[in-house]
Amino acid sequence: MTNARRTALRNRVLGLSSFAGMLLAWIAVTGSGLWTPLVDPAFLPSPVTVAKTFMRLVDKGYQGYSLLHHFLISLMRFGIAFGICVLLGVPIGLLMGMSSAVRSVLDPPIEITRPIPKLALLPLFIIWFGIGELSKTIVIITALFPLISISAMQAVRAVSTRKIQAAQSLGASPSMIFWRVLLPASLPGIFTGLRVSVGIGVTMLVGAEMVATSDGIAWMALTAADFVLTDVVLVGVLIMAVLGYTLDRIFRVLETRVVHWSGRD
Amino acid sequence: MSIAALVLDGPERRATARVVVDAVSKRFGAGPDAIQALEPMSLAIDGGDFVCIVGPSGCGKSTLLNIVAGFEAPTSGTVTLDSRTITAPGPERGVVFQQGALFNWMTVEENVAFGPRALGKPAAAALDIARRYIELVGLTTFARRYPYELSGGMQQRVGIARALANEPDVLLMDEPFAALDQQTRELLQEEIRAIWRRTGKTILWITHSIEEALFLATHVVVMTARPGRIKAAFAAEFSRDPDPLVTTSGAFAEAKRQIVTLLRQESLDAQRQEVNA
Repeated sequence: MTNARRTALRNRVLGLSSFAGMLLAWIAVTGSGLWTPLVDPAFLPSPVTVAKTFMRLVDKGYQGYSLLHHFLISLMRFGIAFGICVLLGVPIGLLMGMSSAVRSVLDPPIEITRPIPKLALLPLFIIWFGIGELSKTIVIITALFPLISISAMQAVRAVSTRKIQAAQSLGASPSMIFWRVLLPASLPGIFTGLRVSVGIGVTMLVGAEMVATSDGIAWMALTAADFVLTDVVLVGVLIMAVLGYTLDRIFRVLETRVVHWSGRD
Repeated sequence: MSIAALVLDGPERRATARVVVDAVSKRFGAGPDAIQALEPMSLAIDGGDFVCIVGPSGCGKSTLLNIVAGFEAPTSGTVTLDSRTITAPGPERGVVFQQGALFNWMTVEENVAFGPRALGKPAAAALDIARRYIELVGLTTFARRYPYELSGGMQQRVGIARALANEPDVLLMDEPFAALDQQTRELLQEEIRAIWRRTGKTILWITHSIEEALFLATHVVVMTARPGRIKAAFAAEFSRDPDPLVTTSGAFAEAKRQIVTLLRQESLDAQRQEVNA
């Protein structure tokens, strides 16, 4: 076994044991039926209780909807907002990167609104767009759009002029330079922006489902907290954690497959 | 065999020259902060000439190449190729950069086929051309690899094949071997000599290595420290010598001594400029 592979294996084992350590600590603190809990189960239920609650929720649903429904509706809210941000944010970011005129028009509004906590805008969005899905989608979009468009803009601006010059002196037309040089050279940077915004998008679900909702995973966790149903809260939190983690992994895999040249210049 | 001083310009040379640099100067910026990169300079380059430009760092030799390539406009003067004024980059002038100009998302084959494709050749024909030039630079077994999988020397071979694939009239090379190790550089220098002999291309080559210039060039142009202008030009014959060990000959050493003497003062000046800047 080579040194690099041994290090990789060791790091994998370390990663898994860190995860196992957290689980063991959770089991130890809550007793998990093996010994008397160290903390009140009402505050921190054991992993066993959480697993049982999960099965019960799968079986019976929560507040009139199945667990799958809650999950899918959250995924849909995230997916629609994310999709719109990709479809609009990436092209707009690319344009901003290529044209200083477009940049001058769009950069100030994006930069000025960027520091505003987007959740603070939710009450306003509810007044403007009602209590339906629209205001929820928009609040997620306002959080992701600047991230995605600005990372696309920076990716374009970071493309080395040499590559562009090389293409020009090979006789490439502007459209060929865009599709075969500028866009592929920007893809690694665009992907990084997408991956970061996936994490933030899942987080934004909590805010989006905070008011004027009656379904969704984050809503489930939030309402369960009102009744101190800690086990239900934890199920919701864990589902969101797994969702965020899975989406991040998917994007990492896509990154190595699609933009295999990332960081190799 | 040695080098002979000459003026690489004049009505007679211009009458036959393919590339004419006519009183080209370049100034960056405006006002008191402006930097004069190039004083007006002129060159007349014949078809098949291999012209090496040597000079201290920052003397504007790369600026000159960028102007001939059409990447930058001269502040005054013009560059013409076959009497047509150069205003933009074009496929009749192939450019090889020092590094970082290959398309990492394309295989070697696709990189080299890019030019023919850009000129409207069908995909299959472009690929045929690409394979031919990949063979010329000895990379056939790496045709399906990505540039980042290759060594620095191989990457430069790809860059050369890519520039050649459009069959340009002129090759512009901006210190193409400067980032390579000594052994790789020497091998590639021999190969570029062979390619030049075989294809008869007109080459404008920027380098800071006097040895490289003498080994490759039919004409060596020595530039002054900034603002750059032509300090001297020589006709050199070592490139016609088939012996790759010509660099170890007494005549080569003597020629090198002449140019080193010229350049030493310029390099000192360049260094002083840097310290005072």
